[in-house]
Amino acid sequence: MGKTDKTIVTVTDLVKTYDKKNVVDGISFDVKEGEVFGILGPNGAGKTTTLEMLEAMRPIDGGTATITGIDVAKNPDKIRALIGVQPQTPSFEEKTKLVELIEFFAATYGEKVDAKAFLEDVQLLEKANAYPEQLSGGQRQRFSIAAALVHGPKVFFLDEPTTGLDPQARRNLWDLIKEVRDRGVSVILTTHYMDEAELLCDRIAVMDHGKIIALDTPKNLVKDLLRRGFKKEQHVEQANLEDVFIDLTGKALRD
Amino acid sequence: MNRIKKALLPIIVFAKIDIKRLFRDKVAIFFVFFFPLIFLIIFGSIFNNTSDVSFKVGLVNQSQADFAKDFEKQLRSNDVFDIDKEVVSVDDAREKMNRGQLDATIILPDTFGQIKNNKYPAGQAQVLYDKSNEQAAQTLTSIMESIFGEINDKLVPHDVPFSVKAETTDTKGLTKFDYTFSGILGFTLLSLGIFGPTQVFPRLKQRGVLRRYHTTTLKVWQYFVANVISNAFIGLLAVGMMFAVAVTMFDLNMRGNYLVLALVVILGTVMLFGIGLALGGWAKNENQAAPLAQLVTLPMMFLSGVFFPTFLMPELLQKVTQFIPLTSVVDAVRLTITENANLIDLAPEIGIMLGWTVIIYLIAFKVFRWE
Repeated sequence: MGKTDKTIVTVTDLVKTYDKKNVVDGISFDVKEGEVFGILGPNGAGKTTTLEMLEAMRPIDGGTATITGIDVAKNPDKIRALIGVQPQTPSFEEKTKLVELIEFFAATYGEKVDAKAFLEDVQLLEKANAYPEQLSGGQRQRFSIAAALVHGPKVFFLDEPTTGLDPQARRNLWDLIKEVRDRGVSVILTTHYMDEAELLCDRIAVMDHGKIIALDTPKNLVKDLLRRGFKKEQHVEQANLEDVFIDLTGKALRD
Repeated sequence: MNRIKKALLPIIVFAKIDIKRLFRDKVAIFFVFFFPLIFLIIFGSIFNNTSDVSFKVGLVNQSQADFAKDFEKQLRSNDVFDIDKEVVSVDDAREKMNRGQLDATIILPDTFGQIKNNKYPAGQAQVLYDKSNEQAAQTLTSIMESIFGEINDKLVPHDVPFSVKAETTDTKGLTKFDYTFSGILGFTLLSLGIFGPTQVFPRLKQRGVLRRYHTTTLKVWQYFVANVISNAFIGLLAVGMMFAVAVTMFDLNMRGNYLVLALVVILGTVMLFGIGLALGGWAKNENQAAPLAQLVTLPMMFLSGVFFPTFLMPELLQKVTQFIPLTSVVDAVRLTITENANLIDLAPEIGIMLGWTVIIYLIAFKVFRWE
């Protein structure tokens, strides 16, 4: 299905204030159906806080946010049913089988699901009876994605999904996120990695000091920079170190 | 109907998983099931023997008379006092009494049991004791007097115009253990209900597990009810095991109805778990929760009659203690076990428990934090 012109998320003049300081300072953007929207920025730029407000986890101090036309601040419960959330460091109760966790997460939305099918989607079927603490970092991220999608959300939030993963696991996660997008789910993610943003995101908002300082497609952002006369030291390299690493160690997932 | 089903689904699924989870955790199994049993066995062994006070007594027989030999045999086989086999001389006895290993020593002098006037054997036994053991010696002397009284009566029958007979009011034969058991049980429910959640919830918060739940449509009340169900189930199971041990190992006299007891146990578990839920649900981390848990449990343990009976306390304090949550659990369990109390007899205790349950859960609900 992929990206359509239908707007799913609308954010207008969103504000979050801590100690009289606007950590999110009047930002506005919208996200289309089936789009991957990236929020970039240095630490403390307000990325996670923005995400948490949209997830109905933090009170909104100013402005409005709607998802499929529903006001986040006024209907947090309806919003929670519409969204899937992947936290920065996914953590689950120990000594609980993956199938059981999937069943539980589906149950929190009042739904019964075929847990194994969800595990198969993220290549974890053979780990169905394992506990989350027995998974590798990449496996845990994949499992967390499966758990976040049990109820078929319209919007999927991911907070720095690939931080701390090895190159194979990162690539695998990117593929997974693209698959989710192809199902028509809007994806909103934060990241520190420019390659990730460039490869994955349809559009990017660059945040600093609580404000959006640029918002466009990766290509346009680069073009815009070049138009302003930016010149980078020219390298004619056909490959970089990561290409070497992947060539040496292969693309196959390690976990 | 469909909405109710949807609301109950997470509760049922979570409670089931939560119970399974416990049985996968060896440390938890130990603390929930075996720790109380160890506690029970230790206390059971202490209190089960107190119904027959046993003296450690030395016996030195210096007489060669037949009567003395028979009498020695009779003493050694009695179960009122324990005769130390190592003691053969007065010197042995003195040494052991000095060390406090013997309460007193019975000496049968060499003339003891010799036939007097060709009629019947006679003599005087001696009770030797250390100054610190005067009471034990007096008790032993009166026991000996009653033994000799019986023998005298057989040898020289005569009528006794006055006599006295002691009789206990308790004709049903309750042991001290029967009373103690309800306290041990109350203590177990208290530690299950408070120490469990005050450790688990802050840890789940710190790891972000509860935060993740909060991103779903799971409601606080659903999470509460699910936890209450799994905890009540586990509490009932732990109590069941304690009962099995108490009945088989310590001859617990269960006079009451098991259904009444189960109801009391469930109600007590739910109420006490609410306290843990309020503390653990409020605390952001374990450093906040641990001292609070101690602050709540310690006074309850000492004031509720778990460790010593409340009637030993000043009257004013007694009036207060009967309203402490744990007191009502311990009392209700005790009345069920020892007096076959029914639900109507238990109305005051159950009323107090219900009242506390409402108050505690209102607070727990109010102060709960997902992160």
